[in-house]
Amino acid sequence: MVVWERIRRDFPVLGQLYDGKSLIYFDSACMALKPVQVWEAMEYYYKYLGACGGAGRSTHSLGSETSMLTEDARNKMASFINAESPNEIIWTRNATEGLNLVAATIPLSKDENVVTTTLEHHSGMLPFYKRCKETGSELRLVEAKEDGTLDPADFEEKIDDKTKIVSFVHASNLTGTVAPLEEVIKIAHEHDALVVSDEAQFAPHQKLDVRDIDVDFCVLSVHKACGPTGIGVLYGKYDLLKKLDMYMVGGDVIEDVVYEGGEVIPKYLPPPHKFEAGLQNYGGMLGAGAAVDYLQEIGMKNVHNREQTFSRKLLEGILELEKFEVLGPLDYKQRAALVSFRPESDAVNHLDITEYFNEMIPNYKILMRSGNMCVHPFQYQIGINPGKGEGVVRASLYIYNTMNEIDIFLTELENFAKVID
Amino acid sequence: MSNFKDRNIKCVIEILKKQNPATTKEILAMRDLFPDLCAGCTSGGDVMLAGKELAEQGYVEKKWTSVGFAWKLLKEPEIE
Repeated sequence: MVVWERIRRDFPVLGQLYDGKSLIYFDSACMALKPVQVWEAMEYYYKYLGACGGAGRSTHSLGSETSMLTEDARNKMASFINAESPNEIIWTRNATEGLNLVAATIPLSKDENVVTTTLEHHSGMLPFYKRCKETGSELRLVEAKEDGTLDPADFEEKIDDKTKIVSFVHASNLTGTVAPLEEVIKIAHEHDALVVSDEAQFAPHQKLDVRDIDVDFCVLSVHKACGPTGIGVLYGKYDLLKKLDMYMVGGDVIEDVVYEGGEVIPKYLPPPHKFEAGLQNYGGMLGAGAAVDYLQEIGMKNVHNREQTFSRKLLEGILELEKFEVLGPLDYKQRAALVSFRPESDAVNHLDITEYFNEMIPNYKILMRSGNMCVHPFQYQIGINPGKGEGVVRASLYIYNTMNEIDIFLTELENFAKVID
Repeated sequence: MSNFKDRNIKCVIEILKKQNPATTKEILAMRDLFPDLCAGCTSGGDVMLAGKELAEQGYVEKKWTSVGFAWKLLKEPEIE
């Protein structure tokens, strides 16, 4: 049994008064808070090791322990997503870098196309937009429905035998939509197309089994999963990773650089080291390992069940007020643990709403994000104009939130609706 | 060349010199008048942060109204 009160106590940020007020943190879709266990793991590295790790670097005691612990963290990450091998786990700076890596290194010719959706985070769309511009390949866009859902039939229409890769978001950071990933993967594989999924908003909240869903590549954002900033994960099937071109080159990615006949001839290491150029974020890797240990100990099913109960309450509570437009599907079962909304009247800017909840609530600071969440195309599609400063407010939940916090928020949102009425 | 944050601080000041007070919505709508100063994403978070900093330093008064926050320039800071 999970003692959720104890879980909450692992996050000291929530125990403090900030400007004399208690914090209600509803911005986990941007950045999850960090439990003690994560920063203790990082502190261990910085306090007791602080040395080089990685392929073939320092072999003294501090270096070898660093290498051992970072490879152990890679093993933990592989286990977290059920990868076949830790060699399928590439450490990146963040999910964005992982998507850029795949987009930049996958062999792509002018007569091939790439399929993505209007619901992508810019990090999922722009790397492929840029690559298609460079190669002259066609970028095909599947339009999400008005309610933020994605229909497999629309993918069926866009994917053909010339489709090289299908890139799409598993759980949207804007609408919360959970996409029909397995159906789309099946369609893509029928045409020998590869699939890269953006798991930044899914993997921290629900069990991701890359072998079960048969995804070819996916990216994770460690800082949204209780882990440190500055570290992410790219997963790829090993044989596919071997076929990707080099990305960054330099130290740590080479077996040898031969000098022969006046020329240099680099011989590169196989994955994962092939993609990890230069000194790495060793403290971050240890923090990432501790973060997935922490989540595994709670159990991803427990995480999902609790969040679904809370996000249902949040979604239905906002809808009941009948003063706010909610983006995304209205069925809580189709959603991740976040709700983006905006007032039906256009009187108040989204930035004012988050600032109101940050400053104007007695005894509490309710911390949310507002803006366009780096998903401008879908908002233009549904009539929200980011170029004119229009946007939404997003409340997003995680393991440390409580039902009481949601009740407080809904009461204050009702009061706010009266203020702007 | 001034840094990103200072440019946005100048952006808010120049807008408030044109219309004082102004709501957040009005400030964001007037960013186009100062494209070299008003930097960052269209969603306007950088401008909001600049306004908050000016308010904390006492140069601007920030007041809640039924149409959002109204920002009033009280005195102009000396910025190089």
